[in-house]
Amino acid sequence: MRRTLKALAALIAYPEAPLVRAMPEIMAEFAAEKRLPEGVRVQLVRLCTMLGRDDLIDLQERYVALFDRTRSLSLHLFEHVHGDSRDRGPAMVDLLSIYRAHGLEIADNELPDYLPLYIEYAAMLEDGAGVPALADVARILAPIRDRLARRGSPYAPVFDALLALAGAEIARGPGAGDPDEDDPEAMDRAWEEAAVVFGPEAAPGRDRGCDRAATILARMNAQ
Amino acid sequence: MSHFLDRLMFFRKNVDSFAGDHGVVTNEDRTWEDAYRNRWAHDRIVRSTHGANCTGSCSWKIYVKGGIVTWETQQTDYPRTRPDLPNHEPRGCSRGASYSWYLYSANRVKYPMVRGRLLRLWRAAKAEHKDPVKAWKSIVEDPQKAQEYKSIRGRGGFVRVGWDEANEIVAAANVHTVKAHGPDRVIGFSPIPAMSMVSYAAGSRYLSLIGGVCMSFYDWYCDLPPSSPQTWGEQTDVPESADWYNSTFIMMWGSNVPQTRTPDAHFMTEVRYKGAKTVTVTPDYSEASKFADLWLAPKQGTDAALAMAMGHVILKEFHLAGRSPYFENYCRQYTDMPMLVRLVERDGRYVPDRLVRAADFEGALGETNNPDWKTVAVDQASGKVVVPRGSVGFRWGEQGKWNLEPKAADGSEIKTRLTLIDARDAVLPVAFPYFGGLRHEHFASTGHDDVLLRNVPARRVKLKDGEAMVATVFDLFVANYGVDRGLGGGNVAASFDDDVPYTPAWQEKITGVSRDKVIAVARDFADNAAKTQGKSMVILGAAVNHWYHGDMIYRGIINLLVMCGCVGQSGGGWSHYVGQEKLRPQTGWLPLAFALDWNRPPRQMNSTSFFYAHTSQWRHEKLGVAEILSPLADRKAMEGSLIDFNVRAERMGWLPSAPQLGTNPLAVAREAAAAGKEPVPHAVAALKSGALKMACEDPDNPANFPRNLFVWRSNLLGSSGKGHEYFLKYLLGAQHGVQGKDLGAEGGSKPQEVIWRERSAEGKLDLLVTLDFRMSTTCMYSDVVLPTATWYEKHDLNTSDMHPFIHPLSAAVDPAWQARSDWEIFKGIARKFSEVCVGHLGVEKDLVLTPIQHDTPAELAQPYQPKDWKKGECEPVPGKTMPAMAVVERDYPNTYRKFTALGPLMARLGNGGKGISWNTDAEIKALAELNHVVAEEGVAKGLPRIATDIEAAEVILMLAPETNGHVAVKAWEALEKQTGREHAHLADTREDEKLRFRDLQAQPRKIISSPTWSGIESEHVSYNAGYTNVHELIPWRTLTGRQQLYQDHPWMIAFGEALCVYRPPIDTKACGPMLGKRGNGNPELVLNFITPHQKWGIHSTYTDNLMMLTLSRGGPIVWLSEVDAKKAGIEDNDWIEAFNVNGALVARAVVSQRVPQGMVLMYHAQEKIVNVPGSEITQARGGIHNSVTRACPKPTHMIGGYAQQSYGFNYHGTIGTNRDEFVIVRKMANVDWLDRSAPAAAAAAAAAAE
Repeated sequence: MRRTLKALAALIAYPEAPLVRAMPEIMAEFAAEKRLPEGVRVQLVRLCTMLGRDDLIDLQERYVALFDRTRSLSLHLFEHVHGDSRDRGPAMVDLLSIYRAHGLEIADNELPDYLPLYIEYAAMLEDGAGVPALADVARILAPIRDRLARRGSPYAPVFDALLALAGAEIARGPGAGDPDEDDPEAMDRAWEEAAVVFGPEAAPGRDRGCDRAATILARMNAQ
Repeated sequence: MSHFLDRLMFFRKNVDSFAGDHGVVTNEDRTWEDAYRNRWAHDRIVRSTHGANCTGSCSWKIYVKGGIVTWETQQTDYPRTRPDLPNHEPRGCSRGASYSWYLYSANRVKYPMVRGRLLRLWRAAKAEHKDPVKAWKSIVEDPQKAQEYKSIRGRGGFVRVGWDEANEIVAAANVHTVKAHGPDRVIGFSPIPAMSMVSYAAGSRYLSLIGGVCMSFYDWYCDLPPSSPQTWGEQTDVPESADWYNSTFIMMWGSNVPQTRTPDAHFMTEVRYKGAKTVTVTPDYSEASKFADLWLAPKQGTDAALAMAMGHVILKEFHLAGRSPYFENYCRQYTDMPMLVRLVERDGRYVPDRLVRAADFEGALGETNNPDWKTVAVDQASGKVVVPRGSVGFRWGEQGKWNLEPKAADGSEIKTRLTLIDARDAVLPVAFPYFGGLRHEHFASTGHDDVLLRNVPARRVKLKDGEAMVATVFDLFVANYGVDRGLGGGNVAASFDDDVPYTPAWQEKITGVSRDKVIAVARDFADNAAKTQGKSMVILGAAVNHWYHGDMIYRGIINLLVMCGCVGQSGGGWSHYVGQEKLRPQTGWLPLAFALDWNRPPRQMNSTSFFYAHTSQWRHEKLGVAEILSPLADRKAMEGSLIDFNVRAERMGWLPSAPQLGTNPLAVAREAAAAGKEPVPHAVAALKSGALKMACEDPDNPANFPRNLFVWRSNLLGSSGKGHEYFLKYLLGAQHGVQGKDLGAEGGSKPQEVIWRERSAEGKLDLLVTLDFRMSTTCMYSDVVLPTATWYEKHDLNTSDMHPFIHPLSAAVDPAWQARSDWEIFKGIARKFSEVCVGHLGVEKDLVLTPIQHDTPAELAQPYQPKDWKKGECEPVPGKTMPAMAVVERDYPNTYRKFTALGPLMARLGNGGKGISWNTDAEIKALAELNHVVAEEGVAKGLPRIATDIEAAEVILMLAPETNGHVAVKAWEALEKQTGREHAHLADTREDEKLRFRDLQAQPRKIISSPTWSGIESEHVSYNAGYTNVHELIPWRTLTGRQQLYQDHPWMIAFGEALCVYRPPIDTKACGPMLGKRGNGNPELVLNFITPHQKWGIHSTYTDNLMMLTLSRGGPIVWLSEVDAKKAGIEDNDWIEAFNVNGALVARAVVSQRVPQGMVLMYHAQEKIVNVPGSEITQARGGIHNSVTRACPKPTHMIGGYAQQSYGFNYHGTIGTNRDEFVIVRKMANVDWLDRSAPAAAAAAAAAAE
């Protein structure tokens, strides 16, 4: 599983020449990985074929547009958890201390919540501890998978695979309900507040404010 | 029952209550609190600040834990103020507190990026040509390839590249451009060095070493008030905010202090508790209005009328009534009011002409040095015409008489006459231009004649060319205000109720403010100033500065302050806060920034004229010069279009040029050498013969395109670029929203001095490089985007007008991802440039043109009617009738070595500024010890090292008088030679102080007083502009040496602005061609487009911070009045579109009672990249606030070579006004987010390009 996870991490890292050259190795790895459902393996091979075949600059352009420039597909996990809140800094500090507790230091110029980095961390864990580590972030991965799937992105199976390995069949959790940022109507609906009513019309419980805010609050309380 | 036995006798319980049972003392386990303690625990706190050009310059604590910035809070360790003054802190606002978001946000630029299309071309070219310069040439000189990557600008497609590859592309492009077109085709735009001066210097040092051009910003932003150089010979100098607390009457005039000067506003609110009165003048109900005892709401853009009416009241009730000896003495000693002006007879009436000079008299009144530049007055006792000391003629060529002592040139005591009314030879009808009668669709006009004759007391004097009539500035000044002095004649008012310009009754129709309020405020203002000797203050800002005739509004206000003796007095004066332009250690920074330690002069350009020409906005000009000329002007002599005036100004050496010549300046020097001639006389002869041309005469010629543009510390395209859509169309060749046709298609009259090419040039730039930490609108349009360090990831310096401290920016953490500090980035480019230039560029001779500079002896260029060599009116003489020329040696392969060491010119030529200079040997020695010297063999061996950003900061701190007491004393002593007075006492108490970078990190430090500035830093007074002029008798750096209220340059007179007048906004004619032509079924309204600074973005640049946007509507908004909204069928939060011939923008409507009818407010610089749908007009994404504007320069700002009206970088020049613009506003019928079709659209465009 370690090699599978490393392969998955590599696939969603920025495509560079060494990665493209490693496609045969990666494809062989997937072929041997029986923990992955057949359908996912087929799709992963399709992604690998694309990465091995397409023009590298094209691949890079698409990658940047997808993961660097689309906030809802950010590969930084806390973008989806803490977003713009001030909790993001301390959360990264906590994550960093977890890595350090396992004797790992970040060698690359990346943040602790960068998903490929986190997968590599999960891959390094002994005794099946990688599975719960993946399961910890499954609720973040699922909505990203859904958004990629909606776009018909070849990167979606990577997230399917991660979820499968995590053993997490994710029901759509609170985070999964987040509307996609390329669906403005859905965004508007989610953020719309109910009109405040005064006078005799006002009934207790009727003025619920913004459902979306309530969802966020619920999520914060759950943590 | 008494409960006696229930009470304890010897014990009490350790569980107790307090505060009347509201609090309980318990003894439970408190370990749960550790969770909170840990939550707020940190490894270290680092001091930094924000480089936002917000003028705040607040000191912040940056908390770091585990190498990650977690949050920031305000620092509270500023040195204390005086006992009678509140302390500075807390400084810092919600916007600063939200900054750390950027560090790890999804919007961060993390890697060097190049658009895939360009990268593919580049790699293919590199495969073909090993030499990167040849590779670049093969791309840009192939029209098809060039078009391929230029046309896709702004539409995504970036990929990451390594630093080495990015640097190679940039360096190759620079080398090719220098070699093929000239170094002056490499341009750099970076604003406001004061907000991070080392980062600014990084790019400007690189550009100055290779001969590139640094662009101005203060004038382009329209933050520069031209009235300041006109009146004081000073770019801008203002009181620190603490001085507001010393005032007893504050007017906030078009400045929204609590909203835009948040950390300083407390001094204003505090002084109200001390009894100060506050009056705000603002058309909308702004936040500042809430702090006003009285709120005046004139119609937007008509403030000059209000100010003139106030002046009318004050002149009549104080000056003419003789109520204040303080005012009278102040005006006599510190203003040009006693100076004599020649009255010229024309058609039976008299017209005020220029100031009389000593040279006009037989024997020049005994003056042999610069008699053409010495103004004269009448001495009260002797009745004779005398030459008071202090005028600019005394500043150059002699020593010891340039001061404001009440003495004549010969040393005799004098008391000059303010008025000739009691010593007149005649009363003459003098003609004054009046513009208030001009018709404007949206502004009220009055029925008065365009020329107003008023009687003025005059005196006959004998000049060498015969007898002449003269009047004092004071007498003309009073007549201009229309105050009746009992001299008969018309157009003067005996009562405030007369409808005569400029009475309180007259202004009612124009401004809508009732006369009684104007009279009351004017009386209070002057009465307070008379009683306190000048403690009336006006805080003024962008709202009144950004109008085409904003200089008239400003002069109207300046007149009030000057006539009441407020300028230079603690607690009084002109408090213009627009932009963080005060770079306090300026003279220490200049050598570093412009590589003056290696070669002089640097190339600098005024941006408004540059962008007007090179974004081809001039091709769409609709304002005719005749529309703005004085009715008294000789129209034949002032023909041409606006760009013609700019070309004449460049040719006569008044304004700079970029590119400069129609030929590569390296080639000009080579040709001269080949012909066996010196480059300068060779170029002068070639220009005269026409063999060589100025580039400005043919801006659409590919030879004259700017080719490479660096943008750093700026969002040029998303924020400050007036005429945004013209940038996109002409400069970038990208998708654009320009709706109007150019003069060719319209059949408008073409310029005379500029070659008109039927085919406009599009895509002039070969390379746009932007350094930023966030993916701004400018980055989106760039070819190369370089990730820079944030304000918490680099070392730098930051100063402001608002307080006297100098703050560090500090690297709390290393730059995240691949980011580097600006210093490291330009160092890297310099290194790569030095490598790849070999074989293309060696040691070259570069012919550099510079305009005639203010604060140099050359500013005495043409004292009378200017002559144009091109028209054969005079000989072309560099530095006199044309730009100065110098040959600069460029050692291109040594660019990197020079970049990283302090060059030898500092020792050879010394340092200085504003007309004085001093020796720097001691500082160079100290820097060599502090920074160590370069050990490597080569040109830099043995010189002080500047390898890091901290070493660069130390260079600034060591060389500047403001941060090195020894230098301050030297600087004051240098000034003493000019003034003949003792000044060093202002600094000698701090002579031994030297501020080091680490000192600044320890605690904020106050700067040391220096002659660079007109205020002082002391334990007794707060910093206030003009203080040393008034209290040390140092002249203002103007023609008269005084505060100059009469502007006598022939162009000032021709445009009717010798004295302040009310001028209505110009007609930009931007809506007519569009109104009703592109209907979407909704009603259309034409409204004035006003763009103030906002609350929900970080100052003027950063409106993509989601934490801030969440507090408002989350995207672009436009405010409009309830009445207009109703007319247009717009409800709050509707999507609306604003458009005109310049382009279109979309936003949500905020319908509010705040806004008066007839205008809309759109906050400055709302990014196109956050929640902006497509426009129905352009079919492209939304647009920014500058999508509906177009720059329109004013000829009076082009004047040069004339004392205070001489060029200085960011000091003087054309300004980018935008408030006169109108837009058509309507509700959108379709809101199309264009989101899903964007890749498809890009693909279609790609297919079209191929």
